[in-house]
Amino acid sequence: MRPDASPLVAALAVGGVLLVGVYLVAVLDRVVGAVVAGAPVRVGGLLAGPVRAAALLLVQRYRGTERFDAPGWALAPALLLGLAAVALGLVPLGPDLVAADPATGFVVFSAAIAFVMIAVFLHGWSPNAVFPLHGAYRYAAQALSFQIPFLLAMLATALPAESLSIVEIVRAQASIWNVVRQPLGLPLYLVVGLAVSFWGPLNLPDGADLAEGTSAEDAGVARLLWQAARAAMLVAVAAMGAAGFLGGWWGPWLPGPVWVLVKSVALLVVLVAAGHLLARIRIERFVVVAWAVLIPLALLNVFIAGAVLL
Amino acid sequence: MGGADPAGAAERVHRGGGVAVTESLLVDALFWLFAVGSVLTGYRVFRTDSMVRAAFYLLASFAGVGGILVLLGAEFLGMVLILMMAGEMLVMAIVMVMYMMNPAGLNPMWMVHQHRVAVAAGVGAFLVLAGLALVADFPDRPNPRPEMATEQLGIELLGDSMLVFQTAGVALLATMIGAVAIASRRGRYGEADEGSQEPPLAPESDARR
Repeated sequence: MRPDASPLVAALAVGGVLLVGVYLVAVLDRVVGAVVAGAPVRVGGLLAGPVRAAALLLVQRYRGTERFDAPGWALAPALLLGLAAVALGLVPLGPDLVAADPATGFVVFSAAIAFVMIAVFLHGWSPNAVFPLHGAYRYAAQALSFQIPFLLAMLATALPAESLSIVEIVRAQASIWNVVRQPLGLPLYLVVGLAVSFWGPLNLPDGADLAEGTSAEDAGVARLLWQAARAAMLVAVAAMGAAGFLGGWWGPWLPGPVWVLVKSVALLVVLVAAGHLLARIRIERFVVVAWAVLIPLALLNVFIAGAVLL
Repeated sequence: MGGADPAGAAERVHRGGGVAVTESLLVDALFWLFAVGSVLTGYRVFRTDSMVRAAFYLLASFAGVGGILVLLGAEFLGMVLILMMAGEMLVMAIVMVMYMMNPAGLNPMWMVHQHRVAVAAGVGAFLVLAGLALVADFPDRPNPRPEMATEQLGIELLGDSMLVFQTAGVALLATMIGAVAIASRRGRYGEADEGSQEPPLAPESDARR
């Protein structure tokens, strides 16, 4: 979209990409699950599976808890979905093809990631129940730990671009992608990206060991929305990773937007596969690793990026 | 910023009158939305009955102020305000809940002490600040290139005031490292990830274990 394009068109485009992305995550999750388990991959069943699951949730009965916080409970999935849309809207498909390109794109993205912890905490706190509340506290610890390495890993990509605009960050990767220039960046980003979208090994707030944690009391449409919002966040993290580290629209032969899609889906497959291949880790261990290993590594990454620039 | 090309800026300035009017209407509408929203949620901070709700209302109020800063062209400051407040309000909510022995922060409670004094102080402060805003002689000088605001801020922070900010930055970093060291593994109350245990009262006593 040109900057002059109507905001309505941009919003519809971002919403459409999110819808397709959420469906893609659900299908990918099933495909990878089947492959890892050695089960036969039945294309028809795998494609229809998410739709069937969604339809089941749509007709499921609404369920409440005792003295819950209704506005907070209703707001949380919408907030998470909106944050995913904000993050995705910043990802450029081409030099002129982006829903929003603020000069402070990186800061807007950081703010969206910071608000994820508000959405998850609200989602766990509002039901006024034990397991969701435990999940909420867990995510607070997780979020305060991943925030710094995640933002530092992203911030290093802004150094070669000498700009906080995401479009400029991609433009600066014309000759060499950040994944080569900053080899520490993408692994850090992906590890912490799993924590941001609480997926797979870092699905600690909604983990099975807490009876699904913050979504333990969800039912029906609320559960469907929350699951969709989680998947949407994963899509946004993958797309931003493709823009920040894999050179966004740059690539031979194919047109730019196709490259963005290919790279985003590749990262999405890595993120989804991590959920099937890696065991969930304990929150205590994650917090220690985040503060004692990931932050120093991320700082090192920034220092190297700065030294290369000088 | 890097995206500032003179041609684009000129094009934006010379755009048709109709678009400009729509844009200014939109900006006005957003300003009133943020302003009224901030005041209302700020009021709700004191009228709600739970610390977590109070923290989130305060967050909403700050987010509105951040939105107004973005409308004013201070895009970076506005977004950083929103970014910082998310973490701070969450930590504030959790710390308040921890101190209050109120596990979920859902038990009803009053959010104010000394009601009359608090109301008088709040209304008085609002009137003084609003009066200042009305009578003060603000410069009427629209920024011709708001997209340079972030760069100007950076030059201000790392040019003239560099020493001050770097000193503060190093001090904060030292504080952070100290805090992490205290809270990390092998602290004085045992391993951080195995639950803490108070040390015994007498150095050699093992009675409490």
